[in-house]
Amino acid sequence: MSKTLLRFFLKLFAALFGLFAVTFVIYFFNLDMKATSLIEPIFLKHYEKIPRKQYV
Amino acid sequence: MVIKNPVEKAGEHTLGVLYSNGKVRRRREWRGIRDTLYDYTRWLYLVSILARFVVKPRNVKGMFRYRWMSNYLAVMHGMDKFTIGLRDEPLRITHTAMNFVIADVTKAIDDCFRGDRRLGNDRAFSDRCVLTDENAMTAFMMGFPNVKAILREVPTMFAANIFNQNSTTHYLDVAQEFGIPGDVCPMPEAEAGISIDDDFCVLGRCAVQVNTTCDGSLMGNGLIAKRLEREYGIPTFQLVAPMRHREEDVQEYAAEDIRKAIAFVEEHTGQKWDWTAYFESAKRVNDATRKRIEQLEINSTDYPQFFGSVFSLYNDTNYMGNCGRNADFVKIDKKLLALAEKGVKNKRMAAKEYRHRCIVWGVQPQYCIDMLYWMLQCWGVVPLTDMLSMVNTRMIAEEDTPENREQAYYDMAWLNENMIMRNRTHGGYKVLVDELWEFCEKMHADMVMMWEHMSCKALTGMHGQFEEQARAKGIHLVWVSHDLCDPRVFSRQAIRDQFSSYMRTVMREEPLDPSIEVLPDNDAW
Repeated sequence: MSKTLLRFFLKLFAALFGLFAVTFVIYFFNLDMKATSLIEPIFLKHYEKIPRKQYV
Repeated sequence: MVIKNPVEKAGEHTLGVLYSNGKVRRRREWRGIRDTLYDYTRWLYLVSILARFVVKPRNVKGMFRYRWMSNYLAVMHGMDKFTIGLRDEPLRITHTAMNFVIADVTKAIDDCFRGDRRLGNDRAFSDRCVLTDENAMTAFMMGFPNVKAILREVPTMFAANIFNQNSTTHYLDVAQEFGIPGDVCPMPEAEAGISIDDDFCVLGRCAVQVNTTCDGSLMGNGLIAKRLEREYGIPTFQLVAPMRHREEDVQEYAAEDIRKAIAFVEEHTGQKWDWTAYFESAKRVNDATRKRIEQLEINSTDYPQFFGSVFSLYNDTNYMGNCGRNADFVKIDKKLLALAEKGVKNKRMAAKEYRHRCIVWGVQPQYCIDMLYWMLQCWGVVPLTDMLSMVNTRMIAEEDTPENREQAYYDMAWLNENMIMRNRTHGGYKVLVDELWEFCEKMHADMVMMWEHMSCKALTGMHGQFEEQARAKGIHLVWVSHDLCDPRVFSRQAIRDQFSSYMRTVMREEPLDPSIEVLPDNDAW
């Protein structure tokens, strides 16, 4: 029982540590903003195609 | 007097290495283990806010419908701009305030999309909404607890520009294609462009606009109101605050206008003005005023704690957009003050040296660039406070009595007249020039950074008087020209160069961190 529990906590710790490592790398190397900066031009191109009722 | 930081700053000292030629930075700042981990947890918090927003299908739909939504791809980048070089309490204060503002804006977008006729189209919700001018004090909504004030220009134009310096350029082009001149303030011009481009959410039972601060906003409001009323059938009320707001003989007229605005909202929403809710809000307005004064007193010491663009931005949001209606601000105010008190007790500094104590005055673009934090890290100039944060300090009536119910209209009018910008750019010589020197004295400032907005006519006539009086008082006056949210007229580096030029030629000083004197951020968000 205690071994199962120990294994569970080890797995939980490994998973949390893995999650921390991945998110910290994304955070520190600004990978989130680097990715979204690549997406922006696609959106801008899309907005040009939307029909709009422009008038003053 | 130069104040040196007794503690060596943990982590990075040469901030220039973080900048790249692209839209975003190379990486985030290393602030030592403790502060980097803190900054990381706040990043995770912001990710969670955005994730909660994105899981709603109508919000994804909104992302594809509205051009201004693409600016929110840069939220984290915007946050990084305001935390550059910060450690300890100043870092925590900036995150606490700015994270709250971001959560508030996210909620505002969510509300806009919920009621928007093109997206959520929740009619019952939309019928409980009043479109409220971005530059309006929301005082006239303090007694409507069941009606939502939707400041749709905030997420569409103002907040978008915090994150992306190019957020308005498309809309400025649209406005100018339709013959609006390019020499008016780009802020109302961009808002007019958004309306012409049909890129505003459409919701609400009625709308209230104010004669904000200038000819540009009157022009923009006219165009927006025309579309709201004639195309979308949303009746619009014009709340007209007197310009000479310190004069006693205008107060009766101003109070009368507030009465009419309230009657207009009652008529269109079917809701009745609730005095209990009003006086509860009034207590919170007074609480926020007291806390703001205390923060300013801390900034008058040798160890200012809560300053920079975020101080201004938080004050704008709390004072004008919230105006006592949301109880959550009370908790945040309390937390911010506790952090600032701890910071001043521990003599925390945000840079390795404070060389000059500066008041930032004039029509300011400091939201879209990291100028104030740059001044601090590059030249050791502490931005103690700014013009937009120097708003009402008078307490309003907060007990529900028959006399105070009458006084309340005058209080709401007073707040409306003293909205940010208007309380300084209008109201006469005293509020703009004389009081600046009083603030310099109170806050022991030896320098004033004067933002000169080249498309704004509000301050132009006072230029000579500022120069003459600053010279007489021995205050260093640094003029820095800009064109608010149009970076094509003045780039970020062109703005910084003006300040650096003064520091080198007049002050004969060398930068604290030479690596950030010239930054390759022209194309950055």
